[in-house]
Amino acid sequence: MKLMDTQNIIEMLHITKEFPGIIANDDITLQLRRGEIHALLGENGAGKSTLMSVLFGLYQPEAGEIKKNGEVVKIHDPNDATALGIGMVHQHFKLIDVFTVLDNIILGAETTKMGFLQKKEARKKVEALSEKYGLKVDLDAKVEDITVGMQQRVEILKMLYRDNEILIFDEPTAVLTPQEIDELMATMKEFAKEGKSILFISHKLNEIMAVADRVTVLRKGKCIGTVETKETDKQSLSNMMVGRPVQLEVVKTPAKPTDVVLEVEGLTVPSKGHKRNAVNDVSFTVRAGEIVCIAGIDGNGQSELVYGLTGLEKCSGGKVTLCGHDISHASIRRRGGNMSHIPEDRHKHGLVLDFTLEQNMVLQRFREPSFQHLHFIKQGAVREYAEKLIEQYDVRSGQGPITVARSMSGGNQQKAIIAREVDREKPLIVAVQPTRGLDVGAIEYIHSQLVAERDKGRAVLLVSLELDEVMSLSDRILVMYEGEIVGELDPKATTVQELGLYMAGAKRMTKEGDPA
Amino acid sequence: MKHKGSNLLEKDGTRAVLASLISILIGLVVGAVIILIVGLSDPELGLSGAWDGIRLVFGGLFSTGRSASGTLTFGFNPTNVGNMLFRATPLILTGLSVAVAFKTGLFNIGAPGQYLMGTAATLMLALGIPSKSVPAGLIWIIAFLGGILAGAIWGCIPGLVKAFLNINEVLACIMTNWIAANLVTWMFDGSKYRNLVENTKSGYIYKTSFNGVQTPKLGLDKIFPNSQVNGGILVAILIAVLVYVLMSKTTLGYELKACGANRHAARYAGINDKRNIVLSMAIAGALSGAAASLYYLAGNTEFFWSTYQSLPATGFNGIPVALLAASNPIAVIFTGCFMSMLDIVGLQMTNLTAYNEYITDVIIAVIVYLSAFSLVIKMALGKWGKRKAAAEKETAPVVPPDTGAADGKGGDEG
Repeated sequence: MKLMDTQNIIEMLHITKEFPGIIANDDITLQLRRGEIHALLGENGAGKSTLMSVLFGLYQPEAGEIKKNGEVVKIHDPNDATALGIGMVHQHFKLIDVFTVLDNIILGAETTKMGFLQKKEARKKVEALSEKYGLKVDLDAKVEDITVGMQQRVEILKMLYRDNEILIFDEPTAVLTPQEIDELMATMKEFAKEGKSILFISHKLNEIMAVADRVTVLRKGKCIGTVETKETDKQSLSNMMVGRPVQLEVVKTPAKPTDVVLEVEGLTVPSKGHKRNAVNDVSFTVRAGEIVCIAGIDGNGQSELVYGLTGLEKCSGGKVTLCGHDISHASIRRRGGNMSHIPEDRHKHGLVLDFTLEQNMVLQRFREPSFQHLHFIKQGAVREYAEKLIEQYDVRSGQGPITVARSMSGGNQQKAIIAREVDREKPLIVAVQPTRGLDVGAIEYIHSQLVAERDKGRAVLLVSLELDEVMSLSDRILVMYEGEIVGELDPKATTVQELGLYMAGAKRMTKEGDPA
Repeated sequence: MKHKGSNLLEKDGTRAVLASLISILIGLVVGAVIILIVGLSDPELGLSGAWDGIRLVFGGLFSTGRSASGTLTFGFNPTNVGNMLFRATPLILTGLSVAVAFKTGLFNIGAPGQYLMGTAATLMLALGIPSKSVPAGLIWIIAFLGGILAGAIWGCIPGLVKAFLNINEVLACIMTNWIAANLVTWMFDGSKYRNLVENTKSGYIYKTSFNGVQTPKLGLDKIFPNSQVNGGILVAILIAVLVYVLMSKTTLGYELKACGANRHAARYAGINDKRNIVLSMAIAGALSGAAASLYYLAGNTEFFWSTYQSLPATGFNGIPVALLAASNPIAVIFTGCFMSMLDIVGLQMTNLTAYNEYITDVIIAVIVYLSAFSLVIKMALGKWGKRKAAAEKETAPVVPPDTGAADGKGGDEG
């Protein structure tokens, strides 16, 4: 045991942190060894972020102690943490948008001579670090102008610039494309090889299995256990996390597609920022009883395609037919008559965050006679309906129907949107990244809902960036690349590798469907 | 956060009311302190003069003058209350105008312009339609509706500019204010409505009573003798209730609020966001127009027509009225009355002490600042309430965490 202790660079022993009404961390012990990648796994609200905030000095625990190299340390604020060599990449980046990348990196640790900034030295050091780890950034670009992936690299460089040896990554992959995730994984492994220790917060099992040495699982504020990734598998990890056996694979019977519900011919949507069209001459159909998935790397026109279909943006050409009606120029409201839409951005489009849950539940239906009489909203009917949906779709919230949507957790906000949209019982469901940022339990639920809707004879158009989701959920895959559909694949007959080639634009089919 | 009943401070409504009351109290206290400083620095006033002033600040509404021995007397003063209600009438309506816009995510700083346009339309109609051939009651209604319409049209302009050109409504409102000020001056400049009969009133437009048009008293003059009060206050209260019903009970109110809270989500749900922005500015404008109509249709009020250099304070005072009421239409009735009470206090000060009415301007100014600050006070109250609840909980058994929602920091929002 003595030997073990010296291996641990950071030990968090019996940490307890309470908030009014909730114990966020209940007697949690976490030991981080030197040079390891240690994953912290748990569902939304399991207490992962709280534990890391304790380590980073943002919260003071009610009980427990933190040791570094075997010695008890007190971390009162992030400055103490930095002094101990602890750095953190937060889930929501802490960058100043109007500063340049270089300014952001040195902010708070500026080298000065007689009160004047010595940017040259700083630049040299940052350039060396960026070179060494292959973290490509444009030092003179403003943060607001660079991609999310590059912003994350800036955050990582910030930690390296401060010579941190303990690196905390809070949900680092939530905002990245598959390629960027691979790069990040490689970088993390590189750090570990050099003897830096990494704490990796995630609820994505694939990533944890790929990169972590050990995993500590939290559930509802309690520590369930720490295991070696070599000695475990995804299934047992997810069971530990959720507390019950979880269905990781989507169970579904072969699709029995019937009539065409949605027909898109030559749809073109102009781009906001570029001269080139965001969606260029796209044609496809979706039939009742099938799940068609639009796959592709983020930013290849999927969002704009959905905007064009749902009416959020005007199309510049092409024809969209829904249930036999030409809706190319119809209003959003008219299109909504035959279409449910689970939007990509739940905060921007999906919910009115300052409305209560019940008000959000009728966002699409408040004009229907069952919810209004002579333009007066039937308060009782709205409450009853919201309670029904909350019950049926297991939407959890503090005060039920009168909870303000903003105060709900991300997973439950998404469940509320799905409840609202699925319950409208429209022939077509457009679901854009319906499981983004959600944990295993919620994903399992949403997938089973979409399959159930398909089996009821609805047409489902799914847009997803997650390859696993694309492969397991869809009946047909359409790959989008640079605003065009470059391939139609059968998930049963294709491989992730082949899909990847289409997504990267390395391979494409001709219009007739033959590989070119 | 799920403590029901145990702590009133955790209820949003209670906090809003308390925050407004605190703002008002601080404003009055600051006024009192200034009175004290002025009193002590002026030998003619002295401490006793200052004490009189302070008592009037807090109880001016109930001042009944001075007794034979020269001390201030207090009691129910129906004239004061009646005048307060009279002056509150337009303030309630401009307050509603600002409140409706706030509720829909817009800042209607254009109330003065809408008020001026309402004034112009009302006066032109009330004085222009000959009462010999048209019954006065009908003229009243036409002039009232005309004022509302003019205000609505003037409110539409910033709404249209915002909806279709995405230009901030504050900018457009400020510009339309000054356009209205000049337009109204120009319209009355060569008109036949300038008061030529009473030669001391050369800068004024005729009272509507010159044409036999005035708001009926509806018996209120019996309750509040010697005051200017008329049926307008009842109309204003009725409109406040209607606005409340519109905003919280109807589909239109739901749409307007959805657009205000999240324009994108409203659009996603098939709500016509552009139409709603224009509509909510039109409603706001209509309310400001109605404020002007009711004020000038009273029959005893005169309009100083040369407005090109000044905007009516009633329009701007709608902002603190709405802020103090936290944009609640029913609360606006009370905050409107409170603001007009300060006017009465100012009058009492001028009449009964050596102070002048400008001291109430100071109080109003402090309250205006603090009413913008009342959100901060509200948040502080919330924190205080939570701490109190947490302290109470020490002894109570810990509630098991029911959702991840309670744990804001632990949520993994994508």
